[in-house]
Amino acid sequence: MSGLMFHGQAVALNEEGFLVDPGIWNEELALALAQAEEGLEALTEEHWSVIRFIRGHFEEKQGAPMVRAVCKATGLRLQRIYELFPSGPAKGACKLAGLPKPDGCV
Amino acid sequence: MSTELEQKLDTLTDADYARGLEVFRGGLKEAEASYLNACVRCGLCAGGCHYHRTEPELENVPGRKLDHIASVFKAHFTTMGRLAPGLVGAKRFDRDMARAWVDAVFGRCTLCGRCSMNCTIGIPLPALFRAARRALGAMGLVPEDLQATVENSLQHGNNMAIEREEWVETVEWMEEELQADTGDPEARIPLDKQGARCLFTVNPREAKFFPLSLQASAKVFWAAGEDWTLASDGGWDLTNYALFTCEDDQAAAIVKNLTDAMTRLGCQVLVIGECGHGYQSARWMGPEWLKQRFPFPVVSILELMDGYLNEGRIHVDSARNQEPVTLHDPCNLVRHGGISEPQRRVLRRAVANLVEMAPHGVENYCCGGGGGQLAMSRYRNRRLAAGKKKADQIRATGAKVVAAPCHNCIDQLSELNKEYQLKVQIKTVAELVAAALIVPTHSEVLP
Repeated sequence: MSGLMFHGQAVALNEEGFLVDPGIWNEELALALAQAEEGLEALTEEHWSVIRFIRGHFEEKQGAPMVRAVCKATGLRLQRIYELFPSGPAKGACKLAGLPKPDGCV
Repeated sequence: MSTELEQKLDTLTDADYARGLEVFRGGLKEAEASYLNACVRCGLCAGGCHYHRTEPELENVPGRKLDHIASVFKAHFTTMGRLAPGLVGAKRFDRDMARAWVDAVFGRCTLCGRCSMNCTIGIPLPALFRAARRALGAMGLVPEDLQATVENSLQHGNNMAIEREEWVETVEWMEEELQADTGDPEARIPLDKQGARCLFTVNPREAKFFPLSLQASAKVFWAAGEDWTLASDGGWDLTNYALFTCEDDQAAAIVKNLTDAMTRLGCQVLVIGECGHGYQSARWMGPEWLKQRFPFPVVSILELMDGYLNEGRIHVDSARNQEPVTLHDPCNLVRHGGISEPQRRVLRRAVANLVEMAPHGVENYCCGGGGGQLAMSRYRNRRLAAGKKKADQIRATGAKVVAAPCHNCIDQLSELNKEYQLKVQIKTVAELVAAALIVPTHSEVLP
């Protein structure tokens, strides 16, 4: 287990950099994760539209949405999602939205 | 040290250890049991293990990992081990040994089998490590995230718990994209087409996050005029993570989704998409798990594409893939699965410059993501460190593109790409073929 310094406090991350407690997520923390884990210095409105949709889906249904749903809700093309989040929808976008790591080959 | 593991070890009773031993012994074939006393400690296996190649410490020597298992076997199942344990290196199965087993077979092994290629005795180490994983499973010691992936398959029919309507919507979306890409409004990604020749199966990762590989496969089928279908409800997911937990009853239940779909849809050929462990599970292990000979052939999409090119059903222009390409050999597909040449023949036609890694083919090194490692977060740092062997191999080829006919390997290679700054693109073979297709006019596609 590792940690991320956030407002002088260590936030627990699992070995792959996902929040140990998804419940503590907020948008400031998303930005800190983006900088520490994804190498993104700033998040654009496009990033936020993806992150907010994924977070909303998670809070409602407890899982990660299909990338199809992300594209539909945000109006972004699939290729754009991959450009926005270099580590991909799972290890990039879902991580910044504070989700646990999705199961499967990811 | 994993707190999850220590907490589980705290709760183990004598009965748990006894059950673990019973499952271990019961799952061993006699030939495998004899191999537990066969290691001559030559150490050659070390050179085949990507863990040892990147971190040359004793616990990473495959023979040492085997020793943890063999010493318990001797203590509990051999006369000499009972009478003179110190003399033969026998050790009782206790908390320390259970921890050592978990560390050896889950924490430092991808079941890739490369060590066996070096073994002077020919010990089938992966089979013995699998027996140990099976025993640990009976004791509840399979890492939770790996087991969760199996549970998804058992409960939802796919390992990412994708709902039927989500899957269908994604397929319909990819069909629209295919039509836009080909300019053919009749291009289809068929769902539940009764009596189609081929039932095609994919990795749920494609549906959930990376559907472009599905579109690429569909484009190749479209160009070849193949009669194919996907299943909408169970039987579309080719993965089987019970291959990694080694719980054979669960593995049988999961592979049965595929055989049931074949029966339900009346298809003739089960086609496994680009996935190493999925191919190994359906082609080789499936009949063992279900204790029946399948009444249909199981083929990889790589074999199909090879056939299309040989028969002139599709044509490609390698000039469309100009950048140097290297090919990753997924262990379950190549070393365990026996599919080595079809993808090479395909790529030699579809790309301008194929540069092989050294070594490659059945002597490849594991990317580090096999054996369920990608699903076990607790070993992430070791997984990435052990992947350096593959990263170095890729870098040495000078390739700009890595063709990887396995979605699990693709995920690990993507992480290696980031970790080791390889600056390569990672693609499926079908994506490279689709990019090189000389597209027929619509009238030529119709039979």
